[in-house]
Amino acid sequence: MKHYVRGRIKTNSRTNLLLKLNRINVDIRNIKYEKDYIYFDILSSDIKKIKKYLISYKFEVIDELGIYKLKKELRVNMLFIVSVVFACVVFLILSNIIVKVNIIHQNKDLRELINEDLKEYGVTPMSFKKSYDAYEEIISKIKNKHKDRIEWLEIDVDGMVVNIRVEERILNEEKEEKGYCHVVANTSGIITHILTAKGVALVGVNDFVKKGDILISGEVKLNEEVKNDVCASGRVYAEVWYNVKTSLPLNYTLKEKTGKMRYNIMVKNDMGEYVILKSRVKDKEVKNKYLVKLFGYQVYLQKEYEVIQSNKRYTEEEALNKAISLVHEKLAVKETQTPKIIKEKVLQKSVNNDTLDIEMFVAVEEQIGVVEPYTKEMDSDTSDRTDNDNNNSVS
Amino acid sequence: MHMIKNLQNFLLDQDYYIDIFNNYIHVYCYQELVTLTDKLIELKLNEFGLVIEGSNLSVSNMDNKEILIKGVVNDVRFVR
Repeated sequence: MKHYVRGRIKTNSRTNLLLKLNRINVDIRNIKYEKDYIYFDILSSDIKKIKKYLISYKFEVIDELGIYKLKKELRVNMLFIVSVVFACVVFLILSNIIVKVNIIHQNKDLRELINEDLKEYGVTPMSFKKSYDAYEEIISKIKNKHKDRIEWLEIDVDGMVVNIRVEERILNEEKEEKGYCHVVANTSGIITHILTAKGVALVGVNDFVKKGDILISGEVKLNEEVKNDVCASGRVYAEVWYNVKTSLPLNYTLKEKTGKMRYNIMVKNDMGEYVILKSRVKDKEVKNKYLVKLFGYQVYLQKEYEVIQSNKRYTEEEALNKAISLVHEKLAVKETQTPKIIKEKVLQKSVNNDTLDIEMFVAVEEQIGVVEPYTKEMDSDTSDRTDNDNNNSVS
Repeated sequence: MHMIKNLQNFLLDQDYYIDIFNNYIHVYCYQELVTLTDKLIELKLNEFGLVIEGSNLSVSNMDNKEILIKGVVNDVRFVR
């Protein structure tokens, strides 16, 4: 293959130069004239002739042509090309690697059981991903192996994370095995509201009940005779009274935002949280915004708000209001729902060593019914005895 | 091989040929470039000389057998 190069010669007399090139039998192509230069393509083997016969002219090679140009470009950009190829290979490898196997189920035993099986079939962190058919095969094998424990299993490949969604098989138990139960009061109070789902309500609204009293009975009676036993259920609300004591320090530290905010990047995994950049604010409050999940790490954009801390002291009125709200919080923690406060009164308040101590009476409406099982044998014996007694009385 | 040779002989006149286009003149098998200016180009061929007159004449491609001249061609003459 002929090796052509693009070159140029500086000259004031183009015609002379061309005539000279012609006389020494140098083939030139694509001749272009620009200012004092003549640009042309020339065979690389003819360069020697020019240097030998046209000593007064300075010939410069500007560029290679054809395949040689490609070779030159490859040579010059070798580092870049190798880097790109290497990056592609790394990307290809990484995109086919499992970084995390995430088994989504609450039951720890089931998770471990499936994890062991997955290890056996080669689905582990830092291993290569498998094809769809291979995963289907693994699913059917695991399901067949644990027929009694697994209802449904799905393998979902999400990037570099393999999510295993599993549904546990729950064998239906006989309802009778659940036993019989009453709904009893877990505290004393005055009934305000009853919702009976199953069983017989033994108390009415405005009745006073003590702790342990049966509110909804599981025994269904007819003419004092137990006809059926069920597991009573329902909700019983009552007015309940509490004496609550709480203490509140009068001195406190107030944090105020200065308005200065800085961005940061936070990554989080199972091991903990890490901030990428050095924090530029001393005292701060942070707000995290989820960005992306990468290689098993959750990446957050963190906003750091600068705050100034100052020591403050409550006035007596402020402290009392704060203490009352603390009492409400305590009651809210006790209850699953926000309690409905019927009435409240501060019984006692005193300030000791910069601390406000208060004692409050609070009447709230709350659910007091709890399910308590009972055995039928004992009751059935009783009912049998009753029947016998009745029979006896009849006879 | 003969076929190729015959085809070559048919397509390429081995003595010479001159193609004249609007702004180009292509001369095949010239022997020598005698004169080269932007108004006059003289070529020596085997049996005659070729004089090309015009304006802005320049050589676009040139090797030992053929030459491509670019420019506004006003006159082409044979000199024997």
